Amino acid sequence: MRALDTLNPASPLAAAITKLFVAVLLVLGFIFALVAVLVVVAIVRYGRRPADELPNQIFGSDRLEIVWTAVPIFLLAVIFVFTVRVMHAANPSPASRAPDLLVVGHQWWWEVNYLKSGVVTANELHLPVGQRVLIRLESADVIHDFWVPRLGRKLDAVPGHPGYLWLEADRPGVYLGACAEFCGAEHAWMRFEVVAQPQAEFAAWQQAQLAVAPTPKSGKALAGMKLFAARTCVNCHRLAGTAADQRVGPDLTHLASRRMLAGGAVVNTPATLAQWLKNPDSIKPGSHMPNFQLSDAEVAELVAYLEGAK
Amino acid sequence: MKGHELSETAIAGTLAEAGDVWAPHRSLLGWVASVDHKQIGIMYMVAALAFFGLGGIEALLLRIQLAVPHNNFLTPETFNELFTMHGTTMIFLVAMPLLTGFTVYMVPLMIGARDMAFPRLNAMSFWLQVFGGVMLYFSFFARGAPNAGWFSYAPLSESAYSFGSAQDYWILSLLVMGIGTVAGAINVIATVATLRAPGMTMRRLPLFVWMTFVNSFLMLMALPILNAALVMLLIDRTLHAHFFTPATGGSAILWQHYFWGFGHPEVYIVILPAFGIISEVIPVFSRKPIFGYEFVAASTVAIAFLSFAVWAHHMFAVGLSDTFNLFFAFASMSIAVPTGVKIFNWTATLYGGRLRFTTAMMFALAFLVMFTVGGLSGVSFAVVPIDWQLTDTYYLVAHLHYVFFGGTVLASFAGIYYWFPKLTGRMLSERLGRWHFWLTFVGLNLTFFVQHLLGMMGMPRRVFTYPDLPYWGALNMLSTVGAFVLLAAVLVFAWNLVFSLKHGEAAGDNPWEAWTLEWATSSPPPVDNFTRVPPVRGRRPLWDLAHPELADELRSRAA
Amino acid sequence: MLSRGKLAMALFIVSEANFFALLIIAYAYYHALDSSGANGAGALDVVTTLRYSLCLFASSATLWVAERNLRRQEYRGLIYWLLATIALGAIFLYGQGREYARLFSSGITISRNLFGTTFFTLTGFHGLHVFLGLSALATLFWYAVRGRLRQHQTEAVEAVGLYWHFVDAVWVVIFGVVYLGSLL
Repeated sequence: MRALDTLNPASPLAAAITKLFVAVLLVLGFIFALVAVLVVVAIVRYGRRPADELPNQIFGSDRLEIVWTAVPIFLLAVIFVFTVRVMHAANPSPASRAPDLLVVGHQWWWEVNYLKSGVVTANELHLPVGQRVLIRLESADVIHDFWVPRLGRKLDAVPGHPGYLWLEADRPGVYLGACAEFCGAEHAWMRFEVVAQPQAEFAAWQQAQLAVAPTPKSGKALAGMKLFAARTCVNCHRLAGTAADQRVGPDLTHLASRRMLAGGAVVNTPATLAQWLKNPDSIKPGSHMPNFQLSDAEVAELVAYLEGAK
Repeated sequence: MKGHELSETAIAGTLAEAGDVWAPHRSLLGWVASVDHKQIGIMYMVAALAFFGLGGIEALLLRIQLAVPHNNFLTPETFNELFTMHGTTMIFLVAMPLLTGFTVYMVPLMIGARDMAFPRLNAMSFWLQVFGGVMLYFSFFARGAPNAGWFSYAPLSESAYSFGSAQDYWILSLLVMGIGTVAGAINVIATVATLRAPGMTMRRLPLFVWMTFVNSFLMLMALPILNAALVMLLIDRTLHAHFFTPATGGSAILWQHYFWGFGHPEVYIVILPAFGIISEVIPVFSRKPIFGYEFVAASTVAIAFLSFAVWAHHMFAVGLSDTFNLFFAFASMSIAVPTGVKIFNWTATLYGGRLRFTTAMMFALAFLVMFTVGGLSGVSFAVVPIDWQLTDTYYLVAHLHYVFFGGTVLASFAGIYYWFPKLTGRMLSERLGRWHFWLTFVGLNLTFFVQHLLGMMGMPRRVFTYPDLPYWGALNMLSTVGAFVLLAAVLVFAWNLVFSLKHGEAAGDNPWEAWTLEWATSSPPPVDNFTRVPPVRGRRPLWDLAHPELADELRSRAA
Repeated sequence: MLSRGKLAMALFIVSEANFFALLIIAYAYYHALDSSGANGAGALDVVTTLRYSLCLFASSATLWVAERNLRRQEYRGLIYWLLATIALGAIFLYGQGREYARLFSSGITISRNLFGTTFFTLTGFHGLHVFLGLSALATLFWYAVRGRLRQHQTEAVEAVGLYWHFVDAVWVVIFGVVYLGSLL
């Protein structure tokens, strides 16, 4: 049961939907059972009669037609009323509230901007428990969809048509999200995580994210920093504290602090990061990250550099 | 009495005039050049079954890739091509032509006519269909098959994100087939309107004819919507226009409105003829007339109208206003009512009957239950917040397969077992039929039921692989096993078809003791369909002939 | 009860009407979003196009006269009025061509902006339908000239007539929405 995320809400927004879903499933299940029983009973009862007998030629019953038209109408009317209520509960109007987060879907990663604090990250979104935040959802290219089943509804990220989505977690935990609108080759690995933390931990995380990594003084990390600039990484990525400030690819400032890499394709470790840099297609074939034909030594230097900021 | 005597001489007269022009020839050229609705009908069905094989292979490949997490049996690009082609094939190259095949074969016979109103137009529609299908599959040999999904959302389907000509193959083949479909719809409407035998009033039409007649209006109105969207996308891609390119002022959402404005009526287009088949099969094998004929007929019209008012239930997650969403939720819930009316009427037909469990009847009975599953999960999607969780997940994939496979395909199997004797003069093997049936029933449920659960667990659709989360691998593996059970079912079916064509028992004119006019002639029918059309004084002309004291028309005077 | 041929044409017209409706909706939607200016609807020459439109509308009348002639077995009249219809239709297309050329020379093309995209698509498909109609009329004209169009064959002429009147009616709507709409 607990594996059924849509029936295991961790948010009042999702809980409203879950309740309605369970109720509707029960009604629908009842109707299904009714039809199935009626068919099976007919098979059993009338399948046994001699097949060459001539049964009574019945043409219909107006009364029955009225019953089986009116009863579904009534049931649907009730469901409709609850539909309206839960729509408002699960997706209250943002009114004129300014958004807390700007989330932008890209092929195939999620850009996350904290509008008030200035934190920029990718694919891993942190939330303080119990606080409802408003996300402004955009797309940089094609239609994507932001969906965390345990926390609530999904919303399409439509280029040219920004939308607003509430996000709230009522208990700490890591909640899995996925892109839920086919967006090209690596749609499957456009997954993300929402990490809900108690306020103090969240604040600490935020602080750490705002911190600029110290410039490496020597060794592999320093070589990595030079490579990062020389090998055009700066043309796509942002790394706070350096000249790199592009949003074509994910923000790498605190790459090392994230649990997953490549949109959920692999767990983030120095080994997997090395594999990614060596040959992105081996993890996420078709991703827009080019293969720079880096030598193993160069890969090691970059890894040392990027692992520097947690 | 005068009526049918006149028609006998009239038919003999026109036969002499027509001479060899309308005679089908058994040679290959004879088939290719045929304008006889029976040959064209068979060709539609054969082509559709061939594409069913291709679409099924595509599905099996997809299911192999999805059997275990992090699989690399297929590259993501190939996977995306395959699911796009699977969906496009099953809808446009299987469901529609198969049902069209039944329609063009049966409608003239069931109304007592000699052919369709426009035999050459009929042939043109078929060859456009074939051409479109070949063109679509040619893309595999060109620079790649289309890979933006069967509904090709913009801007993913625009040239900035779909390079090369793959998408253009999709557009062009659908345009070509769409033209054939509209022509076919015109043909069916004109046929039913002008060629009914004397006594065959609109109120006495067999329900299969009624449903395909109403369905033709759906096609007439819905295909142009698709054609408009397709030309706009083509113009965007080839002439650098801006209909659906948000980056230059276009609207991605407009594509969705247009596509689903077609797409939703389309799903009714592929189910109404199936409803028609069920409406013929169940009464015959219950030995009673359909329960509530007028209500089944009227609910069809209600569905047809409503089907144009529900399209945006495919767009609930786009983020449009509550008012907008609620209108479509209301309409979508409403359309469940006439559909339910049909299910209840078909079920009521069974009661008091003497059921004959032929393979056709078994598929029809399975349809009742399986389509209900799909229809009910559809109702859950009308509830907007539920849709917000479950749209674009495997719960949706389950829903659509229960209605398409549990609905259209099961009904089509019923139709094939029912009408194969009429088309070929031979019976399909009932023994092989039972194997086909049970393998299908088990396979269908094993493949698709677990997908409801996968969706509820958070598995999105159209993903070429997935993480190793609890139960995801196990349920996907079960689904893949189910797909192979379906493969076995289809192989048994193919064997049944091939074997019975050569060695099936001789069928005779009316092996099922059925009541509609197609059974009043030989199996297969002669070129001109009937040497004599029986008198039509009710909805079941052959019943009235066989049981004059219990004739249907007497009942309406007594009741 | 319509004959088979006219019924088929009427149904075909219904499907085409739907097709045009969607192109018109796209035009109107984008026009509402971002209308005129030098590169938009403001660039249209309403008066000149009105003149050419009147030719098209007149061609419906001439075709109606031609049909009447056929019913009355006035075969010479049929030929002349069919010719008049074709000529008027061709003049309309010529006018469309001139409008297109004028717009191209001011840099307004199908790829320029949304006005260009929707305008050329909509009027282009209409022009295509006019052209196909002219081909059908030319075929009828050819039959008439050869003396093979007789009084009992009015169905074909009437069916083509229905199509031609439809194409005219579509232009009434397009002229209204696009040209008159540009003046608002």
